[in-house]
Amino acid sequence: MRALALLRAGIASTVQDTGRPGRLQEGIPPAGAMDWLALKSGQFRLGHREDEAALEFAYGELQARPTHECTIVVTGAPVNLSIDGEPVDPETVHTVPPGGLIAASASTSGVYSYLHVGGGIDTTPCLGSRSTSPREGIGGLNGGYLRNGDTLPLGDQNQPEVAADPGLIRARERDVLLLRFVPGFQFGALPSHTQRSLQEQTFWVTSKGNRMGITMKGLPLKTKIQTLLSEATCQGAIQIPADGNPIVLLNDRQTVGGYPKAGAVITGDCQRLAQSRPGQRVRFAEISPEEADSVRWLEHHYTETKLQLGQR
Amino acid sequence: MRFEVGPAGDLGLRLMFAASPAPALTHKLLSIQKAAQQQFANSLTDSVVGYSTLTLFYRPLTLERNRATEWLMEQAEAASSFDIDPASRDEIIVLPVLYHPSVAPDLEWIADSKSLSIDAIINLHCGADYFAYATGFAPGFCYLGEIPQQLATPRLGAPRPLVPAGAVAIADRQTAVYPCESPGGWRLIGSCPTTLFSLNSAPAARLSVGDTVRFQPVSEADYQSLRNAL
Repeated sequence: MRALALLRAGIASTVQDTGRPGRLQEGIPPAGAMDWLALKSGQFRLGHREDEAALEFAYGELQARPTHECTIVVTGAPVNLSIDGEPVDPETVHTVPPGGLIAASASTSGVYSYLHVGGGIDTTPCLGSRSTSPREGIGGLNGGYLRNGDTLPLGDQNQPEVAADPGLIRARERDVLLLRFVPGFQFGALPSHTQRSLQEQTFWVTSKGNRMGITMKGLPLKTKIQTLLSEATCQGAIQIPADGNPIVLLNDRQTVGGYPKAGAVITGDCQRLAQSRPGQRVRFAEISPEEADSVRWLEHHYTETKLQLGQR
Repeated sequence: MRFEVGPAGDLGLRLMFAASPAPALTHKLLSIQKAAQQQFANSLTDSVVGYSTLTLFYRPLTLERNRATEWLMEQAEAASSFDIDPASRDEIIVLPVLYHPSVAPDLEWIADSKSLSIDAIINLHCGADYFAYATGFAPGFCYLGEIPQQLATPRLGAPRPLVPAGAVAIADRQTAVYPCESPGGWRLIGSCPTTLFSLNSAPAARLSVGDTVRFQPVSEADYQSLRNAL
């Protein structure tokens, strides 16, 4: 059986694909790659289908050996990559010999990187997806974070279409990351000075961040709202707990919550936030749902164009 | 009944009624959810009923938001969708519970603080039928209400890092069973041996919004044999 042995599993490593939407009413979060464009670009370069899974790992530390010859590419947060000790460009498709050592070392920007292996990671799908939600113990390899010594089954490798397009979605360092949000939920019930404070000040990303969400810090936001009845959360929801430090909810969020919410960061900006390290400065800016659609459309158009150009 | 319709992020629409939670309200939300699943079959990825909300999530660039908003407002105004589905009203899901300090770390504390006997607590908790208002927090976790006022107890100051699967809990006027091991801040008064969430079942969650649940006390021996039967 084709497999990938993890000598060093790295930090917060999980198997991820595009996730399992459609299960929120059962309390199951959507999961999926935190940086879905990085996932998509790797899938494309290895000629994968959209439902094939990659290994998501944080802060660049990883060592693995495939049992058979395979192609790989690493996308997302840039890493220093080597194959059998030889430094190589992570965003190019490489062939690794049987038993060859794939080693990634600490990157300097971004958080989540993706190791794509030809044939995809072939753990058993759970509720229609291979994505892992570690808090729920669902999907991936035994439902949890990957550990040193784990072995991941690999799918059969098709003849890959090598179409390297480096620089498609490299995490770029930004001075202040703009988080565009659609106001909603309890936004109208917030005191006007809180609505202004949310948009006028610069927050920073704290170390309290994971696949569930990321906590920001700045001048505390006062909501003057008592606990609410539980209702659905959504990707990017800006939740404001009693301490006034906003939390942006991401892929493995609780599906319902009772904290006041000022609205939600648009999904395109969520992946840029997911790739932000502690200390990154961020600013919230209100946009309308229609403006969010046009951002989405442009991003979609840009991605498709890039992918089509790369295919030639 | 007053309501509002607004965005839930860039891929969601949210309908909220300005009304207190009630089974009739939940049934209205469920009927609109069902209609929305048909009306927008090609666009919807998810829909979630909360205590007083219905939130729809759709695939990018597939929904005419203005038209969907109008449709939601029409549905909210229509009184005819208020009917309670008789089928859902008849079935009562009975969950066996062992109420014993060995599996319920807060039971004696609640008895002391409320000057109630443990038997009195059991009678109060088992004496009412509970309505399933919402699911979430964790897979298969179902918010049930309302417990008698005499039992109402605030949450723990700091959540327990680990609540075992099957723990029967109360918080304020709500009650629930933790389907899986997880952190939790509710007070634990018993243990239920029934599996409430399994990835091998369809649906994975035993309880869903709109269900009616009744708790039934069982002896330690029956509890053990029910557990062993799993």
